[in-house]
Amino acid sequence: MRNKKNEILTLLFFFLLIGTALNIPSSSYFIIKYPDYFPKPLYDFNKNPLTPEGVELGRHLFYDPILSKDSSISCSNCHLSYTAFTHVDHKLSHGINDSIGTRNSPSLINLAWSELFMWDGAVNHLDVQALAPISHPAEMGESIENVVVKLQSTKRYPMLFQQVFNDSIITGEKLLKVISQFELTLVSQNSKYDSVMRKETVFNNQEQRGYKVFQNNCNSCHTEPLFTSYQFKNNGLAIDSILNDVGRYRITNNPNDSLKFKIPTLRNIEFSYPYMHDGRFKSISEVLKHYEKGILYSSTLANELKTPIGLTHEEKVDLTAFLLTLTDRDFLFNSNFSYPKTNNIEITEGYK
Amino acid sequence: MKLLLFTFFLSISSLLIKAQTHLKIKVLPILNNEPIVLNDATKDDVIITNLKFYLSSFSLTQNNGEVYIEENSYHLIDLSKPETVNIAFPLIENKTLENLTFLLGIDSVTNVSGVMGGDLDPTKGMYWAWNSGYINFKIEGTKNSIPFEFHLGGYAAPYQTAQKIEVDLKESEEMVLYLDLSDFLNKIDINTNNKVMSPGKTSQELSILLATLFYAK
Repeated sequence: MRNKKNEILTLLFFFLLIGTALNIPSSSYFIIKYPDYFPKPLYDFNKNPLTPEGVELGRHLFYDPILSKDSSISCSNCHLSYTAFTHVDHKLSHGINDSIGTRNSPSLINLAWSELFMWDGAVNHLDVQALAPISHPAEMGESIENVVVKLQSTKRYPMLFQQVFNDSIITGEKLLKVISQFELTLVSQNSKYDSVMRKETVFNNQEQRGYKVFQNNCNSCHTEPLFTSYQFKNNGLAIDSILNDVGRYRITNNPNDSLKFKIPTLRNIEFSYPYMHDGRFKSISEVLKHYEKGILYSSTLANELKTPIGLTHEEKVDLTAFLLTLTDRDFLFNSNFSYPKTNNIEITEGYK
Repeated sequence: MKLLLFTFFLSISSLLIKAQTHLKIKVLPILNNEPIVLNDATKDDVIITNLKFYLSSFSLTQNNGEVYIEENSYHLIDLSKPETVNIAFPLIENKTLENLTFLLGIDSVTNVSGVMGGDLDPTKGMYWAWNSGYINFKIEGTKNSIPFEFHLGGYAAPYQTAQKIEVDLKESEEMVLYLDLSDFLNKIDINTNNKVMSPGKTSQELSILLATLFYAK
């Protein structure tokens, strides 16, 4: 009888062991922190739970030119951490073989709150966003199939995927999910504006006046606290006759969407120049001048802009002072976002 | 101990027997009454170089009214990979089957749910990177030496393309699901319409046409 009991216990232990072996969590979860005045993120973290290893692997891939056809371009070429993850000083973004794209790379900030991606909303989920630049002939010019083959043939990446997924076989799904994991950590929530919202400090008089100007003239599209409503609007830019970019119309085939582009966030605007989908404006003052005098009327023009935004010189100065309070140095100079240290995890031969 | 092991194996094997496959479907694309062979230049005027499509959301109705719904039901049929044309359903009890419904393509919810694995992995070449969404049906080749490429898909209103298809079943454990592409290639004027690579009206019209070309035997 006693023997039998032991046998059952042994069997139970055996099953328990198999169960554990099949279901080892790679590590503790990585929680995205955001303030209580932010809305709830749209990203479903249950489908892609963040782990420290997953975020770190995503970061390595983000900085690794192995994603491009000739190992010359990484995500960070057009999305630099120190400039709010966009490409300063370039109107249009550059790709492999010195090719030039058709749009200004957007900054990567607070992506968990965005429903659609790209200037025209071509991409419907963060996880599938990276497919676009990887495959574009003027960006990385590569195929996701080949990226997976290249990564699998390195010494280190299969090991790193093993650490995250308990499986060293790399798939498109896993690759894209870890890139998302890193990008989801790019949360900007510690600008002076945020400190004021948290009542840790106050605006100076000029910033306070600028905040009022902002609320009365800009907030309906660049809505607080994320400083975008994530909608698509025609903001009255004259169409560039060479690029001939009709924006969201290309995606929806709906003429009502002609010349509409995604409203970008104003967070870190001080560092994310040049502005607009084609990078046509170099400075905040050029942008303000456009809204005052440059609006071109067309049937899809945003209602909010049908009367030009007329601001006095003082109001413009005040507004600019307020916009500079959206600069978040903890975001821009966060060492967790920058080029990964090679002693942390050894990285591939793709690095140059 | 022996008794215990015996009971253990008995229960495992009975589980296996119960889970035995009761319906096997072979998907068979045909053209002019013959199974399509890729890159076959000996036949008439049409050469097909690539044929891939998704069948998804399978459900089977039995004669007692019970419905079997397959979970994670996504099957990529790829003619260059012969093993993909066979789909099997493990039905627990051997009841008479009355009909079978499935989608040609991928439903809208899956299309907006981010990246997926298995047959839905974007490395399968059935995903649009610059206008997110699955390519439901892909056929490439030449007709009268004119190249054609039809990549059909799109999940957003008003141009949804996934098609619900229903076929009646005879009592059988094996069936062949035919897709007769003769009408598809005959009805299209290849001279003027030989390339569809994005969602929209044409993609939708051709998907509706395709849905009428399935039948079971």
